[in-house]
Amino acid sequence: MSIEAASSTPLQIVLVEDDVAFQDAFRTALAAAPDLSIAGVAATAAEARTRLAGQPADVLIVDLGLPDGSGVDVIREAHARWPACAIMVATTFADERHVIASIEAGASGYLLKDSPLPTIAEDIRVLHAGGSPISPRIARQVLMRFRPDERPAQEAETVERSGVPSLSEREKETLQLITRGFSFDEIAGLMGVSRNTVLTFVRRIYAKLEVRSKTEAVFEARAHGLL
Amino acid sequence: MVSSRPAVTTRPWFPWAAWILAGLLALGVAFVIESRAGGQRITAARMTIADTVGYQPPPATVPSNLPAGGRTVAMPHAPAPLWAPTAEAAPQRIATRVTWYSLQVPPLPDDGRQLYLYVPRWKSDGTLAIYADGKLIHQSHANLQWNGSNEPLMISLPRTEVSHPPRTLDVRLQHVRGIGGAFSSVWIGNYRQLAPRYTIREILQVQLSSFSSFAFLATGVFALFVWFSRRGEPIYLLYFMTSVVVFLRMLHTFVGVHPLIVSDAWFGWITVISPYWMIVVLHLFVTELHGRRQPLLTGVALLNGGFWTIATLPGLLDPTLLSAPVYANLLVLGLIVAFNGVRQSIRFKSRDALLLSVWCLVTVLSGVYDLALQQNIVSIESVFVSNFTGVGFTVLFWYIMFGRYIEALETATRAKADLARRLTQREAELTTSHQRLREIENRELLHQERQRLMQDMHDGLGSTLVTALRAFEGDRAADLDAVALLRGCIDDLKLTIDSMEPVETDLLLLLATLRFRLQPRLEASGLKLNWDAGEVPPLEWLDQRHALHILRILQETFANILKHAEAREVALSVRTEDGRVLVRVRDDGRGFDPTLPVTGRGLANQQRRAEAIGGRVVWEPSPVGACLVLVLPVRKTVTKDG
Repeated sequence: MSIEAASSTPLQIVLVEDDVAFQDAFRTALAAAPDLSIAGVAATAAEARTRLAGQPADVLIVDLGLPDGSGVDVIREAHARWPACAIMVATTFADERHVIASIEAGASGYLLKDSPLPTIAEDIRVLHAGGSPISPRIARQVLMRFRPDERPAQEAETVERSGVPSLSEREKETLQLITRGFSFDEIAGLMGVSRNTVLTFVRRIYAKLEVRSKTEAVFEARAHGLL
Repeated sequence: MVSSRPAVTTRPWFPWAAWILAGLLALGVAFVIESRAGGQRITAARMTIADTVGYQPPPATVPSNLPAGGRTVAMPHAPAPLWAPTAEAAPQRIATRVTWYSLQVPPLPDDGRQLYLYVPRWKSDGTLAIYADGKLIHQSHANLQWNGSNEPLMISLPRTEVSHPPRTLDVRLQHVRGIGGAFSSVWIGNYRQLAPRYTIREILQVQLSSFSSFAFLATGVFALFVWFSRRGEPIYLLYFMTSVVVFLRMLHTFVGVHPLIVSDAWFGWITVISPYWMIVVLHLFVTELHGRRQPLLTGVALLNGGFWTIATLPGLLDPTLLSAPVYANLLVLGLIVAFNGVRQSIRFKSRDALLLSVWCLVTVLSGVYDLALQQNIVSIESVFVSNFTGVGFTVLFWYIMFGRYIEALETATRAKADLARRLTQREAELTTSHQRLREIENRELLHQERQRLMQDMHDGLGSTLVTALRAFEGDRAADLDAVALLRGCIDDLKLTIDSMEPVETDLLLLLATLRFRLQPRLEASGLKLNWDAGEVPPLEWLDQRHALHILRILQETFANILKHAEAREVALSVRTEDGRVLVRVRDDGRGFDPTLPVTGRGLANQQRRAEAIGGRVVWEPSPVGACLVLVLPVRKTVTKDG
């Protein structure tokens, strides 16, 4: 999927990561990719914020365990400041807790830290091109969050919740197939769509998850009398 | 009610104050009415007597041959009656006497106003006839003995165009010789003058006992129906019986002016003997209140009352004529029972029983007074006090029943509150015990999870790392594919982490996770994976421990294929057949002989893991490559530990 590999300007990548070893590996991985260029590396949340005040990057990669704060906050801030930037969370295990928290903050994918170096570069390209990775467990978690009768419906809620997006049938089907272990290509075959369409579904699902999380936060705050 | 403060109904003294106030008010009204009364009272008469046999109708006019002379007596006048007059059942043969009272009327203003005669009491025990200016103007027409002598008389004097206030009044009483023949003083005046006197006496002496008797009887019937549905509480039956007996006893105070539907004999029997019945039922009621049976006293009262009840049955002894000895006996029995009641009530601390017993005593004592009145020892213009004590019984019984009713309501309220309290308490207990159980369960779970992870680390990651360490130490690092080894370790770690998240009975999700983890390695080796996930029912038994075993078995399988099989394609299929789930992994590699000792160890490990979760591993013969089938049950009855 190296669609934009040979395009004119290389993608500007910013990395927020305190682990020097991974920084090095990352640099090595991108050095081999002429279409990707490092536009900054921050080792702390504070450094990241300083960088966020500067020129927007195309892709931002954030580690969650920063020495002076949570990467989730950095993601949220970056998503607000650089709305066009594709944000990835760097993770070793792609465990759903961290990934979903990141997606709700505005990330649209994750980068597995133990991936072979060429895979890292390729993953960055795919993400920037609109494709988001998703694990079966994340799919399952997303399905559960969007389940309509998750909570007992209350009279006042139904109106308040009208702003919460819901998943389309196709999106649900996609997620269900993912939880059953099918790959994007297989799903595309089963649903009779292109692989790109499946990728779009996933990206859209992530976007809805983010909106839903925001609305939910507002709703929760109202319910607790904070707003 | 006059009260300085509103809304004080909850104060306990309030009802009492209200009662006392009402009583005082009634007395005050009576006093005011009485004080406005007037009329002329005649308190002297000339009395003549003539003995007769049987009863004769009174003459139309006062006979001129009245025995001359006689003697002047003061009114009210009552001859001392015999305590035991000769009894003769047949009225036509009974020894009788005619007593005449001739009264001189003081001059009254002849203003044409209607005049009345008011007689507070007449005690004939026979017939009464009243003459004005010698002409008959009134005669009794009811029974001979029970003829309403308790009721005051108010007679309108005849008024014609020639009439004038009478100058003489004559009263003829024909009565059993030895008793009766008593007559009160007489009042004469207009209606406004006499009506207050008559009305107050009528209310106190007749209406009050009449009303209270009927009311008591009505509540008695109510109590009877209560008893019908609560047979275990005889107090309600006794209440009904008391109300009946009191009603029967009080009858003579308000009937008799008109002929009775029963004969004098039966009515006399009822009236004279009913106090015995009252004593018996009141004794039983009091016993029921304080709760201590006294069979001996009850027996004596029953025998005593039963004796007179039978002895005075009509046709045997005449209770009316014998009333004096009957009442004397009654007095003794009443005193014994009443005093006993008071004693028992105090001993067993029953306030209601004490109230009732004291009132019995009061009634017995008032009976003495009434007996004196009956025997003309006190002025016959007095009032029978036991009429009022009868009313008192009605009020007392109401009070007792009211108390029981309120108590029952309070008990019900308390019971409800108590129930709610106990329910809350029980709920709290349950919550606590539930919480404790949950804590124990959690601890147990945590312990199991720790055990599982320890075991897994020891067998997998730990042993691989130790092997690698020994290799590096022994300088055999060159023989080792360090990258593959570390990747294997990371994969191991990822699967361990995956196994910590619950999959909630979803085997496909578990397998999907495995694929997600293995896919990069498979792709790196150029191995194509065909994924064929069929339908699988939820597996209730699929917990973290089981999940990890399944992951490890399949991980081992894929590792073997990658290492040894030299396969190009591997297919994983999931099917449900005959209550079992079959996970089949087939490759197109070299295949192997599972019985060989080299491969044997890993395979035995897989078999052990499968057995630990109630499944098994089968190698299906295959023309090309190898085919491993993991057989899992859909439902597990017994959980084996492994």
